[in-house]
Amino acid sequence: MSYVNVTQLTKRFGDNTVFNDIHFTVEQGEFVTLLGPSGCGKSTLLRSLAGLNPVDGGEIWVNGENITHHSPQQRGIGMVFQSYALFPNMTTAENIAFGLKMKGMGQQEIQTQVQQVIELVALKGKEKHYPHQLSGGQRQRVALARALVVKPRILLLDEPLSALDAKIRKHLRQQIRDIQTELNLTTIFVTHDQEEAMILSDRIFLMNQGKIVQQGSPEQIYTQPANEFVAQFMGNTNLVSASAAKQLFNLDTPHKVAIRPESIYVKEAGRHYEPHISSPQLGVIKQHQLLGNVIRYQVEVHDCELSVDLLNRSSERLLANGSQLELLFNLNEIQPVSA
Amino acid sequence: MPKANVNSNHSAIWHKTVVYGIVSVMLLPILATLVYSLSSSWGATILPDGFTLDWYGQLLSDPRFLAAFGRSLLICSASLALSAILVIPAIFVVFYYFPKLDKLMNLLILLPFAVPPVVSSVGLLQLYADSAWPIVGTPWILIGTYFTIALPFMYRAIANSFSAIHLNDLMDAAHLLGASTFQAFWLIVLPNLKKGLLASLFLSFSFLLGEFVFANLLVGTRYETLQIYLYNMRQTSGHFTSALVMTYFLFVFLLTWLASRFSAKPAAISE
Repeated sequence: MSYVNVTQLTKRFGDNTVFNDIHFTVEQGEFVTLLGPSGCGKSTLLRSLAGLNPVDGGEIWVNGENITHHSPQQRGIGMVFQSYALFPNMTTAENIAFGLKMKGMGQQEIQTQVQQVIELVALKGKEKHYPHQLSGGQRQRVALARALVVKPRILLLDEPLSALDAKIRKHLRQQIRDIQTELNLTTIFVTHDQEEAMILSDRIFLMNQGKIVQQGSPEQIYTQPANEFVAQFMGNTNLVSASAAKQLFNLDTPHKVAIRPESIYVKEAGRHYEPHISSPQLGVIKQHQLLGNVIRYQVEVHDCELSVDLLNRSSERLLANGSQLELLFNLNEIQPVSA
Repeated sequence: MPKANVNSNHSAIWHKTVVYGIVSVMLLPILATLVYSLSSSWGATILPDGFTLDWYGQLLSDPRFLAAFGRSLLICSASLALSAILVIPAIFVVFYYFPKLDKLMNLLILLPFAVPPVVSSVGLLQLYADSAWPIVGTPWILIGTYFTIALPFMYRAIANSFSAIHLNDLMDAAHLLGASTFQAFWLIVLPNLKKGLLASLFLSFSFLLGEFVFANLLVGTRYETLQIYLYNMRQTSGHFTSALVMTYFLFVFLLTWLASRFSAKPAAISE
């Protein structure tokens, strides 16, 4: 039996079903991400795991114990909020010590433990600062330390990086992952950012409209999307109709077919191609976008517009709008996907 | 850009003139009262005959004044203590459990403004005249009434403090760290209301201290408060009543200053 077992979990607000029949398991020390667009029920699911929202059906088991109807205080679950939720009237050290005080731990022991966790999140020297004297990244680290110090069985992170700017975000997400690995902490992370999910997670549970539509490693979800939604949500993809797939790839399928922009090549003269590369198709460049290291061309082929990503190796190779080119498709990378 | 500078100087002077003009017009009666309270006699001459602190001496050694002042302080403190004890938990319940009720509360707290004091005091007199609780003419009816007048000020200030914190997230975080709802309220919510609460308490206090209509109609001379005392002393020397008014003013100034000191620094918000 896995460390965390969630079965048939259901939550309704009135007639509105927030999530329905959720099943998943998490192993001890695993970092999993609930990923999905806003309003898909991922945050409510996380809050239900913490006991902050009661569920209407199903069970939550942690380490062989049914905690479905336990109060938040009894669950031994730590949580970090998007709004940080630091206590404004307490200093960094007091915020972190709060959970230990509630456990009735002695003053001496509290101090030692608070010091340890402050070093762990690199906040030394900020012990006496109040939350309003700290930067966003520092506040979130205090919130993390406060959740870690009580040694929770599971750590829940509810979009902890959303309110931070890009640079601090990248730094902090690495720090979170390092600490998680060091403590071997079972962690459930909620985000709407697929890049964040892919970088951090051992496994991703992709949610849409209150259901987990696909779960697996980041590689699996990216390369083998279960349906159209997954293919489009994870990165960029070209979805072509079944009839266009017949023309382009000579593929018979009742479904739409997904191919990533980076799996389409431009034919170069005199180069030998492997058999899994399709025969060339003539296309016309409609427009292009410079994304930095990548140039994204919109190419029209057989009345079908495709995104094609090429590495931006040199400015001389930039193709003008309206120019013709021959496209090749990596047939190993095309994925029929159900709706 | 010298021209822009000249322009902004001009407008600054203009703005200052208006502000200082209004301030001096408003200060004039107070200053006149102050001078009058300090002068030995000031009759047919432009300037007073001489200055003295006698009037203050007389006032502050009058046991009736001290008793009236004490009664006023007692009634105001009691009604504000009552409202703090009742209003804070009520707002907490509204914000935490029934956020939709906030709109209704906003309507309710306007009621004391909607009914003129004379009307509501007559209503109260009729209501309590033959009631099983003979509280007309006792300080109790005044405490109850003052509670309702202070309610709008207290509710707004405290409700603002509540909206300034992420109440639900703070409560959730506290619960997950093992705190009961009461512990979370006591250790986290209450300390964050302190500034708003103190500011509203001082403001309401100085406001209630000057209340006359309810005090006069509901209790009158049976429990002489500061304003009733001032009213009853209207026949005595103008210098004496001026000293009385100035003493009262000083006290209110002190309270208002304290109130603005507490509200000047906005409460620490984790944003």
